[in-house]
Amino acid sequence: MPFVALKLSEFTSTYHRSGAMPTVVLMDSSLSMTRPVSQEGSEEFQRKNLAVHGLTMLFEHMATNYKLEFTSLVAFSSLWELMVPFTRDYNTLQEALSNLEDYDKTCLESALHGVSNIVQQEWGSTCPCQVVLVTDGALGIGRGSLRHSLHTLKQRVEDKKFPLPFPFPAKMFIMCIANVEELQSTDAMDNLEQLIGLNGGEGQIFTMEGPLCLKSVQSMFGKLIDQAYTPFYAVLHCGNLASDVQVFPRPEPVLVDEEVDPIPKAVQTDLEIVGFIEIADISSPPVLSRHLVLPIAVNKEVDEVGAGTTEDAEEEPSANQMAGKSPNFCVLLHGSLKVEGMVALVQLGPEWYGMLYSQADSKKKSNLMMSLFEPGPEPLPWLGKISQLGPISDAAENPYGEDDSKSPFPLQPKNKRSYAQNVTVWIKANGLQTDVQKILRNARKLPEKTQTFYKELNRLRKAALAFGFWELLKGVAELLERECTLLPDSAHPDAAFQLSHAAQQLKLASTGDSQYSAFNHNITPLHTDFSGGGAGDRM
Amino acid sequence: IMMFSVSHKTAFVVDHCPYMAESSRQMVECDMLTKSRGQGVIPLAPVSKSLWTCAVECSMEYCRILYDVYPTRKLVHYIVSDSEFHSLNSWRQEDQSTQELMAALASVGPPNPREDPECCSVLHGLVAAVESLCAITQYQHEARRTLMDVADRVANRGRIICLTNAKSDTHVRMLEDCVSETIQEQNKLAAGSDRLMPIQRCELVLVHIYPQGDDTLVSDRSRKELSSVLSSEVHSVRAGRHLASKLNILVQQHFDLASTTITNIPMKSFLCVSVTLKEEQHANTSANYDVELLHHRDAHLEFIKSGDLHMAGSTSRDSGLKETVTLKWCTPRTNNVELHYCTGAYRISPVDVNSRPSSCLTNFLLNGRSVLLEQPRKSGSKVISHMLSSHGGEIFLHVLNSTRSTLEDPPSISEGCGGRVTDYRITDFGEFMRENRLTPFSEGVLDASGRTSSERAKAQLERHTRYWPMIISQTTIFNMQAVVPLANLIVKESLSEEDVLTCQKTVFNLVDMERKNDPLPISTVGSRGKGPKRDEQYRIMWNELETLVKAHVGSSERHQRVLECISACRSKPPEEEERKKRGRKREDKEDKAEKNGKDADEKAWPDSERLKGPQEREKEEQTESEMIKDSPDSPEPLNKKPRLMSEEIQPPQKSKGPVSLLTMWTNRITATSRKHEVFAGRLNSVNNKAELYQHLKEDNGMDLHENGKATR
Repeated sequence: MPFVALKLSEFTSTYHRSGAMPTVVLMDSSLSMTRPVSQEGSEEFQRKNLAVHGLTMLFEHMATNYKLEFTSLVAFSSLWELMVPFTRDYNTLQEALSNLEDYDKTCLESALHGVSNIVQQEWGSTCPCQVVLVTDGALGIGRGSLRHSLHTLKQRVEDKKFPLPFPFPAKMFIMCIANVEELQSTDAMDNLEQLIGLNGGEGQIFTMEGPLCLKSVQSMFGKLIDQAYTPFYAVLHCGNLASDVQVFPRPEPVLVDEEVDPIPKAVQTDLEIVGFIEIADISSPPVLSRHLVLPIAVNKEVDEVGAGTTEDAEEEPSANQMAGKSPNFCVLLHGSLKVEGMVALVQLGPEWYGMLYSQADSKKKSNLMMSLFEPGPEPLPWLGKISQLGPISDAAENPYGEDDSKSPFPLQPKNKRSYAQNVTVWIKANGLQTDVQKILRNARKLPEKTQTFYKELNRLRKAALAFGFWELLKGVAELLERECTLLPDSAHPDAAFQLSHAAQQLKLASTGDSQYSAFNHNITPLHTDFSGGGAGDRM
Repeated sequence: IMMFSVSHKTAFVVDHCPYMAESSRQMVECDMLTKSRGQGVIPLAPVSKSLWTCAVECSMEYCRILYDVYPTRKLVHYIVSDSEFHSLNSWRQEDQSTQELMAALASVGPPNPREDPECCSVLHGLVAAVESLCAITQYQHEARRTLMDVADRVANRGRIICLTNAKSDTHVRMLEDCVSETIQEQNKLAAGSDRLMPIQRCELVLVHIYPQGDDTLVSDRSRKELSSVLSSEVHSVRAGRHLASKLNILVQQHFDLASTTITNIPMKSFLCVSVTLKEEQHANTSANYDVELLHHRDAHLEFIKSGDLHMAGSTSRDSGLKETVTLKWCTPRTNNVELHYCTGAYRISPVDVNSRPSSCLTNFLLNGRSVLLEQPRKSGSKVISHMLSSHGGEIFLHVLNSTRSTLEDPPSISEGCGGRVTDYRITDFGEFMRENRLTPFSEGVLDASGRTSSERAKAQLERHTRYWPMIISQTTIFNMQAVVPLANLIVKESLSEEDVLTCQKTVFNLVDMERKNDPLPISTVGSRGKGPKRDEQYRIMWNELETLVKAHVGSSERHQRVLECISACRSKPPEEEERKKRGRKREDKEDKAEKNGKDADEKAWPDSERLKGPQEREKEEQTESEMIKDSPDSPEPLNKKPRLMSEEIQPPQKSKGPVSLLTMWTNRITATSRKHEVFAGRLNSVNNKAELYQHLKEDNGMDLHENGKATR
C-alpha cells in the first residue's frame, strides 16, 4: 500500500517518507488468547501458542533477511507493558515471547497510546513504523473495549484523543488468530476495519483460513512477510560495471499527488548511475529517505565459484568467504566516493533520482548509502533538470577547470531574490531614515564621494517614484539645498554645484513631469570645470 | 486537484482614486542627523506618506516575500484603478518581479487629487481582476495540454486582494456584489471560450485603509461565503505599520508560511565589518541581533507533530497575531564539506530585508557559508534541527534529521561481499568519476541520435566501462603510464586522426619498451616464484591491450585502425613460434588453417562482440587470434615473416605477397606526419632490424609457450 504524498509546490513538498521501518509487535495477552483451538488428535493448542508460532516465524525471517531492522515487543491486556525495547537482537525477542504471561481483558486503546509514545520517544514523529497487532479478535467488553473506544470517538476532549492516526506515518497489520466467519459473527471485523480506516487506510487485516492450526497460522504470517517484510533486491549499474545489492530498508512506493489520478512510484530494480557530482555541489540536498546499499552474492554466482565441488549445504560459509574475496563494484565505488568526496547520481525510475555516497558512523565504520530525492524531473533547483545534465566531455571546455578550480554548480536562478539585490523598503521609519542619512553623509564628502552620492540618490529617487512618494523627493531636495548653504568655506567648489544640481533634479522628478520622473532615468553628476578630486570618481 | 490552488493566481487591485492621495498622517522624521549639529539649523519638517504610498509599499512587500519563497508558479497580476483600470503586468512568469512592478508603478504615479471623484472607482479594477482570473496562465495551459482528454480537471481558482478606502459597510457590500455578479457573467463567457477558464473558486480579501487618528467607517468581517464560488473577508486597517503587519500576516496565511527567528547571531565576530557597529552606534538603535525569516511552514513540521512548538521557543508578537519559532545560531565549522541528512529545504525571505542584522546574515550565507541552527530545549540539551545555506544566490532553510537513526550501527562495507579484497583501483576509479562528472546543458539539447544530455552521460559510462578491471592485480595495462594516452582516447565516441596517431605512438612506444626489455608491472599474485618471464609478461600485456581496444572497435573505423596497429605491432604469440617450428616440417598445414580462418577474419569483430563480457572475450581471444593470424589476408604473418627472416636474409620489401600493413602505416605516417618527431623505436625497426625482438633468437620460445597457459 503506497504512502501518500502531497505535492504542495514545485519544490516544497510533504511526503510521508518511506525508509527505515521499525516494527512494534503488539501482542494480545488477555485471557481469551488462552482459549484452546479444537484439534483432531495430537496435542491441544491455545490461540496464544499459534500466535507465538507465527511471530517466531516472523522473527526468524527478519533475523535472516532484515538483520538491521529494529523491533520491539509490547504485551497488553487492560494494561500494557514494553517487554523488549527496540532491538536487532531477535533472540531476546524470541525469549520474551516464550515467557509471556496471561493477563485479564483486552483494552486496545491504552495499548495503542503506549505504542505511540514508545515510537515517538525512540524515533520522533517523521520515521515511518509498522505495527503488528496480534489478537484473537475478542476486543474487550464495556469501557476500554475497542467497540466502546470507537463509539466515543467524537466525544473526546483534546488531551484524551484516540491514538490513531499516529503522529508518525504508520502501517497497521492486524494478525487475527481467528477466521473471518468468527470475526464477522460479532462486530470485531467491523471494528478492526474501522481501526485501519482511522489509520488513514494504511494497513491490512489478516485472518486465518481453514481450521486454526500451525499450518494456517504459518500461511497467514507468510502473507504478512510477503506484504511487508520482503527484502528489496536490485542491481546497481555503472555502465557495464554492476553489482547485486540489497537496499535496506526497503524503499516503499511514493505517491505524488498532482492533477490526475496519481500512480505510486516504486524504485525500479535496476539502479543506473548517471554520473558523478562533488559533495560541495550537491550540497546537503533534501531527501525522502536513506537506505543502505549492501552488496550481495547472488546464489548463481556462488554456484559458479563453487562449481565442481560438493553441493552440500555446509558449503555456505566458504561461499560467503568467496564472496568476501571476489571483487565487488559496490566496494570499489564506495572507496572512490569516499576518497574523492563525491556522490553518484543514480536513476531510480522514470523521472526519479537519488544519490549514492559513502557514509561513516561514529565508529568509523563506513558504508555505501543511497538517498532518494523527491520524484520529478528537477528534484534540486541548484542542479536544474537532471535530464539536462550531461558529460563534461560534451562541453566546449571543462566546466570544472583544468585544475578543478571551478564548478558549473549551483545553477543561478533567472531572478535574484530580494535579499540579494539591495531592494528599498521603507515600511519601518528607520529604513527610510537610513537611506536619507546615507545621502547626507555622502553629500558632506563631495566631491570625493560623488559616485556613491548619486548612486544612493538615484536609489531613493526610484523608490520614491514607485511608491508615489513625491513629498519625500521635495523634502530631500530641501535638505540638499540646506546642506549647500551650510558648506564650510574650505569646501570644494564642486560640492555646492553638485548639491544644488541634485536638489533641482529631485524637485523636477517630484512634479511628475514625464521628462524628469521616468523610473529608469538616472540623475547624473553635473559636469563642472573643476578638476578636483571628484573627476576620477565620475560616472 | 492540488496543483492550482487559490494561491496560484493573486490579483492585486489597488485604489488610485483622488482620496487615496490623502495623508496617512503617519509622520516620518527623515532629518535625523540635524539634531546633532547644534543650534541654528532648522530641521526639516517630517514627511508623511499618502494612503496610496502606504498601500503600494505594503503590497510590494507582500510580493517581495511571495517571490522570494515561490519564484515560480505563484503569480501576481497587479491592477490599479481610478477612472479606468491600469494593468501593470500579466500572469506571465517573466512579469513576476518586484522591479517590473516598481517601474510600472512609477509610471502610474500617485493619485491625482484634482481628478473628478465621480468618474473614479475601485470597481473598474475589481471587474478587471475577475476577468483576469478567467485568463489561463502558462502553467494551466501546460497542464491542460498534457492532460488533453481530462483537461477539464485543471482547476482555476484565485484570490483578489483589494486595497481601498471604502465609505461604509454598505459600500463594501456593493463592491462584493459587483465582484459576485462579474464572476457569474465572466464564467458564462468563459464556458464558451477555449482561451478562458471559468472561476471555480475566488477569495476576495478587501482591505480598507484609513488615516491614523480617524475612526474607521468600515467594520472588520471574517471570511464569509457569498456564493458557491466567492468568499469574502474585510479587514479594516489604519495606514502605516498596522497595514504592513496586516499584509505580512496575510501573505503568511495565503501561502502557508511560518516564521523562524534566528537568535544569538554573533555579529561582531562573524558577520559585519566594524562600519556596521559604528553605524549602529550612530543610529542609536538597540543591539538586537535577531533576524526573523519567513518560509514554508513545513520547515516546522517536526515541531508541530511532536507538540514541541512551545519548547522550541515560540513567542507571540504583534498582539499575539503572529508566532515565530526561535532557533539559536551555532558557530559554523570552517568550510566543512559534508552531507547532512536533510529531510526538507525551504526558500526563505527575511521579514526585515534591509535591516543590518538581516543583510549581514543573508550576505554571510550568500558568500557560501552555512549555519547550523539549534533548537533550545528546556533540558538544556542541544539539538541541531535546521541549517541555513545558500545555493546559487537563493537561501534555503534545511530541516535536519535530529531523531535517532534507524540505520545506526550497520556492518561496515568491509565486512560484506568484496570487502576483503584489498587492491581495488580506488584512485583510478576516482579519476574515472572525475571524467564522468556532470554539467548542465541548455534545455532541449539533443544529440544526433536524439539522446538527452543525461542519456549521453549514461552512454559515456557504458563506453568507459567496457573493459574496466576492478583490482590492480587483474590488470597490467592500467598500471602502466605508457598506456595512458591510448586508454584515455580509445573510450571516446569518435577519434580524430590525431587521436589515432597518439594511439599508434603509444603502441610503438610499447614495442620499444619490449625491445629494450623494460620490466612490466605484472602481478605475481597466484603464480609461483617470480611470476611469468619477461616475454610472457609482454604477451599478457598485449592481450589485455587488445581486449581493451576490441571492446571499442565497433565505435568507428578509426578505432578499428588502432586495433589493427596493435595486431600488427605486438610481439609474436607463442603459437606463432610453435607454428614456425612445425612449419619447417609441414608447410601444408598452413593451407588448411588459411581456409578455416578466412570467413572469421572478414567479419572483423561484429557488434555483438561488444556485448560480451571482458572475461568471455578473453577466453575466445586465443582461438580468434590464431585464426586471424593464420589467414593470408591478415597482416600479422606477412608482417612477422620478414621481420623474423630479416635477421637472416630478406628485407621486408622483398617479401612475397601484398605489402604489409605495417609498411603501409610506416609510409603513411612518414608522409603525413613529417612535423612530428620520428619515434625512435620505429626508426630502429627499419634501420636496425637486428635489434628488434632480438630475444627471439634465444631459446625462450619454449618457456613462453609453457607459461602461456597461465595467463591469469
